Amino acid sequence: MGNKVYFMIKTAEEAGKEGYEEALKGLEAIPEVESVESVSGDYDLVARVDVPKRVVPIANKILENGGVKHIEILRVEPLEPNPFMEEVCSIPGGEGVLWCAQCGLCSASCPNVAQMDYSPRKIIALIRAGKRNEVLSSNSMGVCLSCYLCTVRCPREVKITELMHALEGLAVRHNLSSPKTSTPTMHRFFVNSIKRNGRVHELGLMLRFYLKTNPFAAIKMLPVALKLLLHGRMPLRARKIKGTEQIKAIIEESQVMGGAL
Amino acid sequence: MKHYSYFPGCSSEATGVAYGISTQAICEPLEMELSELEDWNCCGSTPYGSTDELEAICIATRNLALAEEKGLDLVTPCSSCYLTLNRANSNLKLYPELKDNVDRILAAAGLKYRGTVRVRHLAEVIVNDIGFEAIESRVMNSLDGLKVAPYYGCQLVRPELGFDDPENPQSLDRLVESLGAEPTPFPLKSRCCGGSLMISEPDIALGLVRKLLESASDNGAECIITACPLCQTNLDVYQGMVNAKFKTKFEIPVLFFTQLMGIAFGINGKALGLDKGVISAKRVLKPFQVVAK
Repeated sequence: MGNKVYFMIKTAEEAGKEGYEEALKGLEAIPEVESVESVSGDYDLVARVDVPKRVVPIANKILENGGVKHIEILRVEPLEPNPFMEEVCSIPGGEGVLWCAQCGLCSASCPNVAQMDYSPRKIIALIRAGKRNEVLSSNSMGVCLSCYLCTVRCPREVKITELMHALEGLAVRHNLSSPKTSTPTMHRFFVNSIKRNGRVHELGLMLRFYLKTNPFAAIKMLPVALKLLLHGRMPLRARKIKGTEQIKAIIEESQVMGGAL
Repeated sequence: MKHYSYFPGCSSEATGVAYGISTQAICEPLEMELSELEDWNCCGSTPYGSTDELEAICIATRNLALAEEKGLDLVTPCSSCYLTLNRANSNLKLYPELKDNVDRILAAAGLKYRGTVRVRHLAEVIVNDIGFEAIESRVMNSLDGLKVAPYYGCQLVRPELGFDDPENPQSLDRLVESLGAEPTPFPLKSRCCGGSLMISEPDIALGLVRKLLESASDNGAECIITACPLCQTNLDVYQGMVNAKFKTKFEIPVLFFTQLMGIAFGINGKALGLDKGVISAKRVLKPFQVVAK
């Protein structure tokens, strides 16, 4: 699935006006380049390029131009309809896939990238390529720590952590969650606890989770549970709020509206 | 007397009960009044946001609607509640379409939120509204020579809500100093403890906790302080599992910053929930346990 890529281009300053002219002429000679416009600010030109497959060969072609000093991806939009990308963009936090520059700082910052099927950078590349199943059935969201290190470092202010959460929600809705991680199951029990009581009952959540996913793990966790009980940190009974009817009304009305936006 | 609405969060009733107790205990010396938000519900945290975005925002916003009636800043000691409630606020401002939907859903539950509540973390309130000078003046029991590793974790400083630097925060270090203690260098002070992945992906989370304990103890820390109930649980309750898995011998008490403040203010250990810690802080704190009155 191809994309329309907008490149910001800085021309070689030392070459002056001639460098600019050379860059412009060279760019217009590349068949994939649809249009070139001059801009003011940190960059000199913006080129709209049709990228049928991979962006790197075309970026390299642009960089071969002697008048071009530096390029950066400004925005990526699908060439053909990309329903998956549209779905992702419609969720708060998901729209950043449009302006990710694929620099990879998110992947380099992630404490858990080694455990992921696809790094955060690759997840965005796959969304742009319309690969719904690959993305939603990957374990990447399930091992995301929500530590927000990628988010604060992203030079494009892509909310990568939020994107991960949005993708996990989509995976749950489409029933595609990876069997390699039980994080979505843990989340489900957490949410169910809120739906029932308005608050999370940690003991109930943990018991239900371990019984569902791995009763043997429950035995391994017994010392932890005992420590919590002995130190008065694990009430046996759940506390219910008075406003559970309000919670119920909120959930029912949300579902009428079709869930996530 | 400074007055706030108070959002304790679910942990304060269970794994983080000592956080709730010690927060209440230091209010008086700090001349702070925290009025618990009546009938608050769970903020939804990361799990709800990863399940259904719209529902998650509405569930979080119920609390904001309840708090708006009181007209005070809403203070929470939990980093995850702080992030989640702030996120609801900012998403409602950023996405008008979302706001319309949330308004309609809340109306079905008889609620209305105009968007005026400021959500703040307890640590931020204590540092900015009370201030180090006032804290210093309340110290009866200077913690001279105690080496403390200030652990910030993730969601207190990230994503950036303006409280402190997202990667090299300093405010808890200053707080430790104002109590007379010595903040130790702690290179991993804002690295992740694994959060709730301790339940679903324990191998990953235990490895992260090990690194944190190592970093703190290599730098000479006698105890760690945190500002998040989940961080405290992972570092304290699971320390034994880390030792068993990695053949390590860590025995570092992990306190809430509010407990350390209470000790310096001369409040007795029981009133600060010190008995709730799995790794006992008795030995480390013995020289400083002078009870007031």
